[in-house]
Amino acid sequence: MVDNGVSTTHVLVIGSGGAGVRAAIEAAEHGPVVLLSKTIAGKGGCTPMAEGGYNAVLREGDSPELHVADTLRGGAYLNDPALVDALVREAPDRVRELVSWGAVFDVGPEGGVAQRPFGGQQFPRTCYAGDRTGHEMMVTLMDRLAATGVTVVHESAAVELLLDDGRCAGAVALDGDGAAGVYLADAVVMATGGGTQVYDISTNSSSGTGDGYALGYRAGAELIDMEMVQFHPTGAIHPYDARGRLVTEAVRGEGGRLLNRLGERFMARYDPERMELSTRDVVARAIATEVLEGRGTERGGVWLDVTHLSARQVEERLPIMLEQFLAFGVDIRTEPMEVAPTAHHIMGGLRITPDCATTLPGLFACGECSGGVHGANRLGGNALAETQVFGRRAGLSAGRSPVREKGVTPGIDRQLGALRRRFDGFRDGEVPPASVVRRLKETMWCGAGIYRDRGQLAGALAGIEVLKHERLLARTDRNLLDCCTAANMLLTAELICRAALLRPECRGAHTRLDPSCELPPDRSPYAHTYLSTAGEGIEEVAR
Amino acid sequence: MTPVTIRVSRFDPASGQPARLVPYTVEVHEGARVLHALHAAREQDPSLAYRYCCGSGQCGSCAVKVNGKPALACMTPVGDGDVIEPLDLPVVRDLVVDLVPRIARIAALLPKGGGELPDAATVEALKPLCDCVECGSCVSVCPAVAVTDFAGPTAMRQLERLVLDPRDAGDRVSQADAEGLFTCTSCHACYEACPKDIEIMGKAIERLRAEAHRRGYTFPRHAEIADLVRTTGRSVARITTPLFERVEPVIEPYGPVRGEVAFFVGCMYSMRLPETALDAIEVLRRNGIRVVIPMEQVCCGSPLLRTGQTEDLERLKRINIGAFRPYPVVMTTCAGCGMTLKKNYGDLPFRVMDINEVLTEFGIEPPARLPLKVTYHDPCHLLRGQGISEEPRAFIRGVADLVEMPAYCCGSGGGVKSGKPEEAAALGELRRKAIEETGADQVISSCPFCEFHIQGHTDLPVRNVASLLLDGYRAREGDARPGERKVQ
Repeated sequence: MVDNGVSTTHVLVIGSGGAGVRAAIEAAEHGPVVLLSKTIAGKGGCTPMAEGGYNAVLREGDSPELHVADTLRGGAYLNDPALVDALVREAPDRVRELVSWGAVFDVGPEGGVAQRPFGGQQFPRTCYAGDRTGHEMMVTLMDRLAATGVTVVHESAAVELLLDDGRCAGAVALDGDGAAGVYLADAVVMATGGGTQVYDISTNSSSGTGDGYALGYRAGAELIDMEMVQFHPTGAIHPYDARGRLVTEAVRGEGGRLLNRLGERFMARYDPERMELSTRDVVARAIATEVLEGRGTERGGVWLDVTHLSARQVEERLPIMLEQFLAFGVDIRTEPMEVAPTAHHIMGGLRITPDCATTLPGLFACGECSGGVHGANRLGGNALAETQVFGRRAGLSAGRSPVREKGVTPGIDRQLGALRRRFDGFRDGEVPPASVVRRLKETMWCGAGIYRDRGQLAGALAGIEVLKHERLLARTDRNLLDCCTAANMLLTAELICRAALLRPECRGAHTRLDPSCELPPDRSPYAHTYLSTAGEGIEEVAR
Repeated sequence: MTPVTIRVSRFDPASGQPARLVPYTVEVHEGARVLHALHAAREQDPSLAYRYCCGSGQCGSCAVKVNGKPALACMTPVGDGDVIEPLDLPVVRDLVVDLVPRIARIAALLPKGGGELPDAATVEALKPLCDCVECGSCVSVCPAVAVTDFAGPTAMRQLERLVLDPRDAGDRVSQADAEGLFTCTSCHACYEACPKDIEIMGKAIERLRAEAHRRGYTFPRHAEIADLVRTTGRSVARITTPLFERVEPVIEPYGPVRGEVAFFVGCMYSMRLPETALDAIEVLRRNGIRVVIPMEQVCCGSPLLRTGQTEDLERLKRINIGAFRPYPVVMTTCAGCGMTLKKNYGDLPFRVMDINEVLTEFGIEPPARLPLKVTYHDPCHLLRGQGISEEPRAFIRGVADLVEMPAYCCGSGGGVKSGKPEEAAALGELRRKAIEETGADQVISSCPFCEFHIQGHTDLPVRNVASLLLDGYRAREGDARPGERKVQ
């Protein structure tokens, strides 16, 4: 079963996006670190695809208080204030650190890192490197990682956390050949990113399959606010296979206008003050409403137009957008882009303290797989900042964890036995995982989308239940991971639907068509929804 | 949905069998990319292995060869009949290649500490070098990587990016030298393969070489060439009667004048291979084109530019532009000179055309067909440097049967033949093999460096397109004595 043997390390980091690599860099100051990467490290996750930017208070006129206020208001006051505070206070140091490590951000007119306006901000605080900000950060982090002693295990995916006496003690990973390896550690950092690949239309990379939510939940950790799925307002809709591809908020930050089929700048109806630079939940609902009410394009979207900007501005500030649309035959300098909402980010996730401790001892979490920083709706530019602030904090906490005796205990051995039986079940399965995943994506898009009600959500849950009973098939051992991933996606989807049923109000990105509570967010009686193997519910605010 | 059939290279290291192409017929949506066809094929056969991740051209995971050319599967439209193969790197399985060791050779910035963001001008210079997604395409096509321990084009891109960055503490020029800076043949295959269009030769390698030159890394043989240019205006020493002493400054065509070109002869054709230049002049005369040869012309500067010895370049440019200013069309027959004039001289008061373009534009008298099978070697500086590929082939097909071979650098460019002769010879031997596989009687090319170098690596005659055309004309006129002359 354990073809790749048992290795031990001080800290095991699972995930190689911005948060995971930052955590590994920090943890390496405290002892041996193994970084497990499902992809070639540096290429996976959503950080290298993140286009728009990184929010940090850097200039006079802006202040931490303003950034906190914007983040809380944008998050419909569901955010954990202590996490927001950490984000805002440390984001500037983390961006300066990236610069000192060599990141090539754009330069502002008066020198220093350039910043531009993003949605929901009272000050233009989004630092950027053209529209390849995440890529630049990732390159910089990989450079830094190379200078540490971190052992990088490329193309190996964690499929199960190991528990020893109520603590997280490591993980089992499958490599590209389907061979399993056991990694035992004093502390584990979960940094697997998000999971909106459970939706038919999504911006996420192939690794956005919710692995961290699923592994954490199965191991007993608690998750919060899983109903909070951000639909990015502007995803590509054509051609079919590129549907959902992110059209960065930087397009609107640079002055892009949203127009319906009638040529109306419809945001005037939804948020006349902030217009296109309203928060993502508002803009996504506005576009969905325009389309539902018959004012969308033939393909079911709206227009996003930058043709009034100079060609030079488009070329310099939005080169990736220009390149991507040109590849599909649209010159955005002279033609509008056709866009519609696309599942982008899960605000919920593993419940963490400001030190990134989850409710499971020994397990830390950072980045998109954790919850609470963004509340009910994330501001554009806050996720890249989150990866660095909480990546560092998670790496630090994990690194400082006490060294323990590590070994394959009888308890771990029982878990490995169970995993072996699970794999044997896949080998004897019947249904290709790809077919289960396809049906899941459609189920989620129809049943747990921008607008939800009890009936739709219950229907989606019932659909997921049917899919969970399909016996997933691994034709070769290399397909064992496909089966594990499909199972993780099913569980992630289920958690989203269960959490969505728990929250009877409209809040941020969570829009119930049948709310039983219609108080504004700042007076809502509800706080986090929570889910774990021990139970689920919604917290009420003591007033 | 429309059906497409793709053929995908399958390779299982455990099977002991070589890779084979397997056809898959799949249904795809309008606008589908190669990646989507691969997804569909994998539903038919879940054992198919390939990499992908972001699906939007930003992570560089999914580079494969599509119909022989590197491309990102996620951004390349799929077509019926497409052949999908792994990059030319060690294959792990199916389309998956061993990319990590290549990425590991890309240097990391070594922070000096306390680094501030550089000024706007520096950032603007850095940005075009930061677009690399580390997909491995450039490395997979690089001839220097194939025969030496060259770290690869993108490793050089990164070193230049670090040289330009005041925050980096490394000695990048020494590192570049140690990692093969002078192995690059300037073939531009990396630029052609790069999905992000990073011109690594011009934007990184030549700049690193210029810095290396300032730091004294120049090979003695390269320095000798620079001395020769400085003292004689020519990069080739006098070994035979130069073309300039064999011709009049104005050479009238045989019939009515249909056009006129000013001939930029270049060092190789004027000093080492003047017979080939005379053949070219003959072909032009037979097609009504007057040839003017300004005698003040000097070396274009390419041998200096490609080896980082740029001090003399402005002087050469000034002399050449002055010499050719009166003429609207300047014709080159050397691919290297042509590329240099077109790409490195900036705005010019005349139009530069390769002889293949001149003859195509004016149109030529049809030559006689000869019972001859030839193959064509694409000069890198003509194919990728100037985008000229079909024109010489059309002329060749007018005279002989053309058997194609893969376009691949012969090893003579970029100062490699003089500076790294063992590398040039290794690449020359690769050409020998490719030539033998065609079963051709002659090798045709359109660049004196390629012709001269390849002649050292084949027993067949290596000849210029113009010489072949002239054979065709002579055969038609009855004085058929198809040249069997070898390049000296």
